[in-house]
Amino acid sequence: MDFFLNLLPHLLNGVSLGLLFALIALGFMLIVGVMEVINLAHGSMFALGAYFAIALLAFKVDFYVAFLLAPLLVALVGMLLELCMRRTYGKDPLYGLLLTFGAALVIEEAIRLAWGSGEKQLVVPPEFSGAMLVGGLIYAKYRLYASLAAIAMILLLWLFLEKTPYGAMIKAGAHDSEMVRALGINLTRLRLFVFALGSALAAVAGIVLAPIWGVRPHMGVDAVIPAFLIIVLGGVGSFWGAVLAGIMVGIVVGLTGAYASEWSMLSMYLLLIALITFRARGLLGKKTALEA
Amino acid sequence: MKRNRRKLLQMLAAGSAFYGPWTVNRVWSQAAQKKPLVIGLTMDASGQYGASGTDERLGAMLAIREFNEKGGVLGRRIEALHMDTETTPATGSRVAERMITRNEASFLIGALHSGVANAISQVAQRYGCVYFNTNSSSPTEAGKDCHRVKFVWDGNGTNFAHAIVKNAIRVNGRNWVLLTNDYVWGHQTSKATRALVEANGGKIVEELLIPQNTRDFTSYLLKLQQIKPNVVAAAVGGDDIKALRQQVVQSKLDKSFAWINNQQDWPDVYGLGPDAIFGVFGTNWYYRLDLPGVKEFVAKYQKTYPGIQIKVPGNVFYNGYMATRELLRCVEEAGTTNNIAIIKKLEGRKMSAVDRMQNYEAYINAATHQCQQTIYMASYNDKPAEPDDIFKILSSAPPQEVEDKDAPGACKLESYEATPSYEQ
Repeated sequence: MDFFLNLLPHLLNGVSLGLLFALIALGFMLIVGVMEVINLAHGSMFALGAYFAIALLAFKVDFYVAFLLAPLLVALVGMLLELCMRRTYGKDPLYGLLLTFGAALVIEEAIRLAWGSGEKQLVVPPEFSGAMLVGGLIYAKYRLYASLAAIAMILLLWLFLEKTPYGAMIKAGAHDSEMVRALGINLTRLRLFVFALGSALAAVAGIVLAPIWGVRPHMGVDAVIPAFLIIVLGGVGSFWGAVLAGIMVGIVVGLTGAYASEWSMLSMYLLLIALITFRARGLLGKKTALEA
Repeated sequence: MKRNRRKLLQMLAAGSAFYGPWTVNRVWSQAAQKKPLVIGLTMDASGQYGASGTDERLGAMLAIREFNEKGGVLGRRIEALHMDTETTPATGSRVAERMITRNEASFLIGALHSGVANAISQVAQRYGCVYFNTNSSSPTEAGKDCHRVKFVWDGNGTNFAHAIVKNAIRVNGRNWVLLTNDYVWGHQTSKATRALVEANGGKIVEELLIPQNTRDFTSYLLKLQQIKPNVVAAAVGGDDIKALRQQVVQSKLDKSFAWINNQQDWPDVYGLGPDAIFGVFGTNWYYRLDLPGVKEFVAKYQKTYPGIQIKVPGNVFYNGYMATRELLRCVEEAGTTNNIAIIKKLEGRKMSAVDRMQNYEAYINAATHQCQQTIYMASYNDKPAEPDDIFKILSSAPPQEVEDKDAPGACKLESYEATPSYEQ
């Protein structure tokens, strides 16, 4: 019984961490799903979100306004990147991969030039900071709010994709882009919008996670690898697959952190290997024609 | 009379306009005739120790600038060549190889990460190039991974553990948890701490390994609360310790246990805010030590690097500067850049307390090639004289008291004969 009581806080912490991982992966999943582009600059958008928020706060902008404004600015950067991507559509996917990799390097260096190499802090309002007591253990209050923000973003995105005509267009675009074009939907504009939305989501994740992870130029790399892993684990293109995979990764990382700390960084990769060995399409991925 | 004086002044002005630059340029023209002396700066500009790597580079550059202003060394202008070692051992090897073989570097200086320092020193030893490990502090650097060409300038994990453990057991209690960064420095430092804790009647109840680049410490903080130790001894460095400190404060756990950080590098704590500077930690220098030369050194730093983010020099900058200055002095004294001559100048070298702006005389142990120096214990300064005055120096230990007695046994320096002759 004691063992389970001891385990419980780590499980809850894992779920909270997992929700944050899922938040990072959602924008990445959206772009991969609709555009079939592995956007290696996703981590850079994540970092830019945090840096733009810091810059806005430095100009005495209210925290909540910065929280809304910074993702919009990052969305503009995302749109710019999509404009550069256009020449790669319909070509070997390596072109897109290389372009986004290059963009990631450029953005990271631009961050270094603009804000320096040192660590920055995103100061959260006092109502979000401090600690609380959960089952006799002290837990950072911000973690709870960050998890709630992740849940809210996941639900909002789901509602947008499932209950609005724009969401239907995005899903249709992911399923069969040629048919969408044939039906008279402006695919070029749709792609631009999806890239902007994916980038804005990355920025939101960057802002939410900044007070936990710290803000530094290469923080994007810390985000893009788990994001990639989570969408593969969840099944490429599956919304709830990504959420589920995020939570699984969070629990595994949280538990190994507490009980076998030397394995905590490796654990997510071992989970991926184990799952993909038995279920190549991921947790909720659809069967391919070859598998059917 | 007035006219004569004016005429005299005009002649003096004309004379100095002609001869002034000539005398200055004469030094340069002589130096320029000879091949420049290239110093390879093998310092991280990115990765876990990117911030500290930048800081130690500035320290080395200041020493180089001072010598160049005097006309260089041996009539040669000194050129600093920096390449980012990326806090990655493989990059460290590659950079060292390139600097020696392609850039004809006379010496290599720089390291924060002990894995990187070890990798660089293996390459340096193969060629015989003298290498200064300025800031990496794994006891293995002056122990099993020592080399004839390598000299270690920072205090190491064992030195700091010696300075802190006994007193901490007495004041805080016997049950300790070790937080260990999962690489060579973390392991070796925790090993030294464990040995001293156990030797002094304490007990290590748990050791939690922290993978490098960990950003979320919540699992560890929950675990610590379940264990309820008296003391948490952290051997965590670079950006990782910054994140840990922030999260400990966020969770209000800074007062729940006694926190000991083996060594606290200045760039890792500067600007974090007073709340994040909790516990007791070690350092080998502080910018407000009440010692001769310290104020002038700080002024020189601020004059040389105006507008820099870190407004006062810290231990990492200090080590970069001191090591480089001592190397160039040795070159001057030896009258050559030959590696064996320089090594002999360094082995057993004594450096006065005044010269190094520390409390006690420092010396280079000839058997381990580590600079043995004053070790300070510090905590947060609750009565700062100015905003940057964030450390309160609690004690200073002389080098003999904190020296790693096992290091000479573990360190097997290559013989002079087995070390290739190297001169650039």
